[in-house]
Formats: sequence, structure tokens, C-alpha cells
Amino acid sequence: MFEKFAKDAREAVVRAQDEGRALGADRIGTEHVLLGMVRTPDTVAARALERLGLHHAEVLATVRTLPAHAIDADALAGVGIDLDAVRAQVEASFGPGALDTPPPTRGSTGHLPFEPASKKLLEIALREAVRCKHRRIDTGHLLLAVARLDDTTAYRVLSSLGVGPAAVRESVTAVWADVPVG
Amino acid sequence: MSDELMTAAASAAEPAEGLRAVRALRALADRLEALHVERARRLGWSWQQVADALGVSRQAVHKKYGKRLG
Repeated sequence: MFEKFAKDAREAVVRAQDEGRALGADRIGTEHVLLGMVRTPDTVAARALERLGLHHAEVLATVRTLPAHAIDADALAGVGIDLDAVRAQVEASFGPGALDTPPPTRGSTGHLPFEPASKKLLEIALREAVRCKHRRIDTGHLLLAVARLDDTTAYRVLSSLGVGPAAVRESVTAVWADVPVG
Repeated sequence: MSDELMTAAASAAEPAEGLRAVRALRALADRLEALHVERARRLGWSWQQVADALGVSRQAVHKKYGKRLG
């Protein structure tokens, strides 16, 4: 399947590993693939989201607030720990946001496995390419796949940033109109 | 819901709540550990000193942070 990936899509998948590791993940989720797609501004996905006013920074900020990446304050309150109080102390000593940056994944050389949802995302991207009669899968197809899979974390991240599936489709199509598709 | 049913529901939820708290405590401890190990290394602590302070082996702490902090 990867031989059908255009360079920008292959790089996005590689960068998804870096994104996942930097966020302390033990698996590559769809949100990491999304971050990988927009890591550099010249990919089809990055241009499509740029048209909608979104960049890597905004997506990353939203991903950081997800339950999988945030510390569960309610659970800590249940055992008598006030996370806000801990955060205030840590920030006084280590600077703003110190507690909200997860430590990178341990043993950070091995490849992180893809979550089933991320594998599905790649499959749907392939299907999108076939549907569009494109020879190669680029990050535009990956982004279209996100727009199609409304049960994924990546979809929810975009939704919470005010970007729905119709806007994504329209924007990707507009970017493809500007650049030749492989 | 009767009082009896509510009590039953509360006790059924207990392991889930407890485990969730443990998971959150681990996440919190991991982040605090990373911050403090990084600072200790920056201040010139040896891996052995860091390991002793954490109550783990030098190998364990080096394996966890060695690549990142050198």
C-alpha cells in the first residue's frame, strides 16, 4: 500500500511517529497522523487547513487537551489531590505549561504501532484516491479520510476547531485545483 | 432509585474509579519525574545520584532518560 503513497503522505506517516512520541503516546492515533500531515506547511493537507485558518500549532494545542494526553483532574480530586494546586507549584518552579507537556515516550527508538483507527484512516485514504481516480495517495486523501471517519479522534479535533467534513472536502479540492495531483 | 440500589451502584463503580485515579497518579508522577530528572542532570547530578534519589537502579534511570538527556 505504501508504494502508492506520494512523498508528502509518506513523510506525514513518518512524522506521525515523531508527533506521537513527543506527546508521550504508546500508539499512533489518528490525531498524530493529522499532526504529521500538517507538520510542514507545503503539504496538501497543511494548505487545505491553512485555507480554513488552521495550522499545526492550533491542532497541537487541541490534541494536548484530549483526555488521553491530559492528566485526569477529576480522578485525582477523588483521591484528594488538587491538580490545579500541583500545577501552580510546578509552574512556579519550572515555568508555564511545564506540567502539561507529557514526557516523551520511553525508549524512543522503536516504532510505535498504529492504532486500528489509524490503519483504517490509511485504508480510507486509499479508497479516496481510487474514488478520485488519482494514481497516488497524498495528504489531501488522508485529510478526506479524516473527514469521512467521524468516530476518530482526528475528526473530533477538527470539529472542536470548527472545521467540519464539508469544509475539509471543499478546501482539499481547492488545493488540488492549484497543484498537480500525482 | 432506592438507597440500596444506589449503594450497589457506588460500590460497583469503585474499582473503576480507583484504577482511574491510579492511572492519573502515574501520569502525574511521570511528568514530575521527567521535570526533576532533567533539572538534576542540568545541575550536574550523575545518573547514579538521580537513581539513588528515585530509589531505582542507575541502569533503569539511564534507560528511561539517557537518550533524551545525555
